[in-house]
Amino acid sequence: MLSLVARLFKALNSDSAPGQVAFGFALAMIPGFTPFFSLLTVLVLLIACILRINLSAFILGVIAFSVVGYALDPVSANLGEWILTLPGLTETFTSLYQNEWLRISAFNNTVTMGGLVIALALLIPVTLISRILILQYRKRLLSWVNKLKIVQALKASKFWAIYTTFAE
Amino acid sequence: MTKWIRWSGLAGFIAVVAVIAALILLLLPFIIKSGIEFVGTKVAGAKVTLDDADVTLSPLGVRLQGLQVADAREPMRNLVEFDEAMADLELAPLLVGKAISNELSVSNLQFHTERETSGALDMEPKEDEETQGPSLKEKASEALPSVDEVLARETLKTPAAGEALKNSWKVQSERVDSALNAVPDTDALAKYEREIKEITSGRLESLEDFRQRKARLDELKARFKADREAIRQAKEAVTTARSDVSEKLSELRAAPGEDLAYLKDKYQLSGAGVSNLTGLLFGDEAANWAQEALYWYEKIKPYLESDGEEDVSEEEEKAPRLAGRFVHFPTSDPWPDFMIRQARLTGPFDGGQLIIEGRDITHQQTVTGRPTVFTATGADLKKIGDLDGRLTLNHTLGNATDTLTLAISDWSMAPLPLGVAGARLASSQVRLNSKAVVVSGQLNADLDAQVTQAKFTGDGQTVFAKELNSALQGITRFNVDAGATGDLSSPELSFGSDLDKQINSAISKRVRAKQDEFEQKLQSRLNAQLQEYAGDYAEELQQLSRMEGSLDDKLSALKDLASSELEDFKAQQEREAKEKLDAEKAAAEQKARDEAEARKKELRDQAKDKLKNLF
Repeated sequence: MLSLVARLFKALNSDSAPGQVAFGFALAMIPGFTPFFSLLTVLVLLIACILRINLSAFILGVIAFSVVGYALDPVSANLGEWILTLPGLTETFTSLYQNEWLRISAFNNTVTMGGLVIALALLIPVTLISRILILQYRKRLLSWVNKLKIVQALKASKFWAIYTTFAE
Repeated sequence: MTKWIRWSGLAGFIAVVAVIAALILLLLPFIIKSGIEFVGTKVAGAKVTLDDADVTLSPLGVRLQGLQVADAREPMRNLVEFDEAMADLELAPLLVGKAISNELSVSNLQFHTERETSGALDMEPKEDEETQGPSLKEKASEALPSVDEVLARETLKTPAAGEALKNSWKVQSERVDSALNAVPDTDALAKYEREIKEITSGRLESLEDFRQRKARLDELKARFKADREAIRQAKEAVTTARSDVSEKLSELRAAPGEDLAYLKDKYQLSGAGVSNLTGLLFGDEAANWAQEALYWYEKIKPYLESDGEEDVSEEEEKAPRLAGRFVHFPTSDPWPDFMIRQARLTGPFDGGQLIIEGRDITHQQTVTGRPTVFTATGADLKKIGDLDGRLTLNHTLGNATDTLTLAISDWSMAPLPLGVAGARLASSQVRLNSKAVVVSGQLNADLDAQVTQAKFTGDGQTVFAKELNSALQGITRFNVDAGATGDLSSPELSFGSDLDKQINSAISKRVRAKQDEFEQKLQSRLNAQLQEYAGDYAEELQQLSRMEGSLDDKLSALKDLASSELEDFKAQQEREAKEKLDAEKAAAEQKARDEAEARKKELRDQAKDKLKNLF
């Protein structure tokens, strides 16, 4: 866990593309808002591995959004129920349902559908907002943070040793 | 673009997935074996063992070897076992945790096989079931005891009445004997007669003679009086004895009839005993078959009744997160959690092969929209010409309907111990059609069987057994109609058959004759008891009657003797004087008549002479 946080800090503090960190974090909403053990999670994991995004941000994002998702599940279920039972989409869903690989994505599950829609809807906004926040952090807060006594203390700790290991 | 692609990530992903897949494949056989044994044991209530489980990759599937499911009711037997089962698995559904097999094949499927070790689970023994009442057969065998058993087990009136007569006779005969001892015998009466004659005959010579005779006569009369009292008492004793013994004898004579009526009422050999013979003969067998079918049905019923919504609610309780609901859309390829699209099970049966084929086997028929259908056919069967069974479990709609149809033709039925009176259906050809429908736990089943070339045997020794077997000998064909309706847990069974009519027709005559014979035997035995008690008493009673008559005669004789009187002396003198006067008077009158007659004759002769002279 310390390693993950350290990696995240390294990414935030280094010159890693802020978009990669932001998208990794935003992408974590999909496994976070939908049932974790599903083909969708595997697919998102594959995307996270293939795309040059920050995995630390992604993994920490999955943890964070899973907690949010736990509270969000009833909303997701209701939304999914509404979408899946929309008469206008029935034909579409029926045709999708005929494809077994789409079916194993469990798109016809109310929580999966609702969570996925929420995650996809928030993907771009969360990416953009995260990117802006990262840039602002680097520009305005990084030097101020480094001067904080608590950060100074941290630099003398085990955490800093791990951080520097990854930073080298 | 390449700036965004991380090929090493792809390699890492593939490596991780491969490792996970390898681990799963490595552990899956153990998981499958353990899962089947654990869940199977829980469901069957007895040990379920699997020799081996393998996972094949091409095609993806599972192979199970050596499955044995012990019978919880008979732990030393297997409910079912097979050598090998192979099932392919569809990959895509498996990835979402749904086990769907296109084809399952099971070889060497066998039912009710012997086990080497007990299949019982180590658990607290169940409490003994309630003691059940005697079965119909037991009742039948109990209802027909022999005459000796009947007479031995029953408390009858005849012996009691016999004992009462015996005791009465003993008491009364002692009283009569005692009374008779005081009664004068014939010699005594003759002596009395002689004495009376001696006293009353002959001429009183003097007044003293008269007085002496009178004294003797008075003394004799006193003895007569005592004797008459003795006779009167004896007569009373005899009358009482005769009345009492007669009454007891009448009761004894009536007792066998009353006993017979009671025994006839209690030990019915009438038509009622054979009114439901079909149920009697086949009831237990049918009950066993029905019980077996219900056992299997009860096993699968809980799984048939479950549906997706119930699964969700169950998962909701256990899952840390909301599981959601799967919205199913119309498809030709539905994915329930578990399904075997086609199954083929074969096993040895009746010298040939039993082939059971299943279609759309799943516990979620609301997802598939199709009922689960099993068919059973036979190949190269020795004793069955044609076997066609079909079980349709239709739980696609709310009102679930399960239907079983079974048709068997040219079935050379194995010797069937009927369990009643030692009777066996030694051989027969059976044609059978049956249908059972279960809707909402309510069973409605009927069975129609035509039995031809029937040959019955039997070695029962009881009255009923012999008569039943005699009746069965003449029956070569019959039909059986059976029905079961009502709640599945306790259906109402009914049996009908023209066998009843045939047997009733044949057996009723014999039963009636036998009943008569039985009654005659009972009557004979009861009469024997009657004779044993009453045999000599009738004669004794007649003797009492004669004795009573004899006492009457004696009493009459004594009365006559007692009425004899001695004339007093004066009366004798007057009588003698009167007799003398009368005699003299009679002599004078005779003399006058003689003289008148002589004079008359003389006058007539003179007249005749005068007339002669005229002519």
